[in-house]
Amino acid sequence: MTRALVTGASAGLGRAIAERLAAEGHDVTGVDRDHPGAEAPFAHIACDLADRDSVDALAARLIEDGPFDQTVLNAGISATGPFEAIPAKAHARVMAVNAEAPMVLCAALARAGALSRGGRVVFVSSLSHFTGYPGAASYAAAKDALAVYARSIRKPFARTLGVTVSAAFPGPLRTDHAARHAPAGADAEKRMAPDVAARLILAEAARGRAVIVPGARARWMALAGRIAPAAVTGAMRRIVYDKLDRAVW
Amino acid sequence: MAGGRRAILITGGTSGIGLALVRRLAPRHDLLVAGRRAPDDAAAVLPQGVRYVHAPLTTPEEAVRTVAEAVLKAGWVRLDNAILNAGVGFAVPGGIETAGQIRATLDVNLTASVMLARTLHPWLARAGGTLTLVGSVARRGQGLFPAYAASKAGLHGLARALRSEWRDTVAVQVIHPGPTRTGMHAKAGHDPGRLGAVFLPAGPVAAMIEGAIAARRSPVTVSHGRFVAGGALWSRRL
Repeated sequence: MTRALVTGASAGLGRAIAERLAAEGHDVTGVDRDHPGAEAPFAHIACDLADRDSVDALAARLIEDGPFDQTVLNAGISATGPFEAIPAKAHARVMAVNAEAPMVLCAALARAGALSRGGRVVFVSSLSHFTGYPGAASYAAAKDALAVYARSIRKPFARTLGVTVSAAFPGPLRTDHAARHAPAGADAEKRMAPDVAARLILAEAARGRAVIVPGARARWMALAGRIAPAAVTGAMRRIVYDKLDRAVW
Repeated sequence: MAGGRRAILITGGTSGIGLALVRRLAPRHDLLVAGRRAPDDAAAVLPQGVRYVHAPLTTPEEAVRTVAEAVLKAGWVRLDNAILNAGVGFAVPGGIETAGQIRATLDVNLTASVMLARTLHPWLARAGGTLTLVGSVARRGQGLFPAYAASKAGLHGLARALRSEWRDTVAVQVIHPGPTRTGMHAKAGHDPGRLGAVFLPAGPVAAMIEGAIAARRSPVTVSHGRFVAGGALWSRRL
């Protein structure tokens, strides 16, 4: 049996990924602040990824449990609203959970040999990497950092560890997290179901792809954002920022 | 505001590109420099009349509070420019940094910038000012110092979002310098070898950055292309 690790596994995209990996026969460890419920088909480790001591303790425990064939660093939080309406500490928490924790965990596992040779690591960034995200500036910053961390370690990890590193850039998903941070009047039906995103991401990661943008709609957005970054960020402002009726963190 | 005397905050202003910027701007503007050097050491390199606050960004929350207090103590009610330039990085083999290296890099380069932007917004808005984030061409990815590259990509994304959010109040920009001859590579534990010979000197890079700040554009890459085109000679002054 092969081992898999998923952070943010109790809900949303992480849950869908953890369940899919478990169904494929992997021995899955899920990390989350919240308990996934007794019915979850994977083991659970409770951890607040914003807390450095907790992350260090988690890394030590995972190194003992490993090595992992599949590691999906998915956990993320957001802070939406006008940047200046959100406390500085909340922005710092977004950086800690979305950028620092996955980077620290990945490096710690790699250093200790807890990533199996021939295995893979997937970082879950965001489509905002291509579009920009007015209304979630710290979230966008953290997800950009994570995307470029993944890109930076891809070659050295392949060369020295035999580990394939991918970054996934999902667009809006039909999750509780997205609903909490979405602007007023947003249509949840237009968002991708998390189990569809999970299937696409895992399939592309298995092919060793560096960049995974799940779904045709998201791929068009990514392309548009690369060709006309300012125009697409302007559109994001109208779609998201101008419609935000509250700050949520 | 062109030609007027500006109130300018610069982080990481006691060495490298930051210090070169301070030297250019000090004769014409009111400067507050934040840095990690002890005040006596900083005084030895800074031009006369420049205010200095000792605020190591490795502890962002504390540093941001210290900087805000220093702005108040200077009696400034508005900030024309905040230039968030401080940066650290660590060169590592195999792309594997320690937890401490990753945290220090993200704290200084990214989290402190996010928190400073949030905290300084009222001062900048009152002046219709400019927030400048100093990134790096490494923001596209670099296996030698992954967390550094990541932090600079984070600044790019922060600027992209904030420039849109604040378009009616504060100009936000990110400027990406290319390889520059500063102490940073030695501090990072990296010897660029013969490649170091083609790195640009800090003075001309600072001149081009000053021009980009005056133009309030974003994103701007300040590297060999611009240098060869005479960017350091013709750039605007702030």
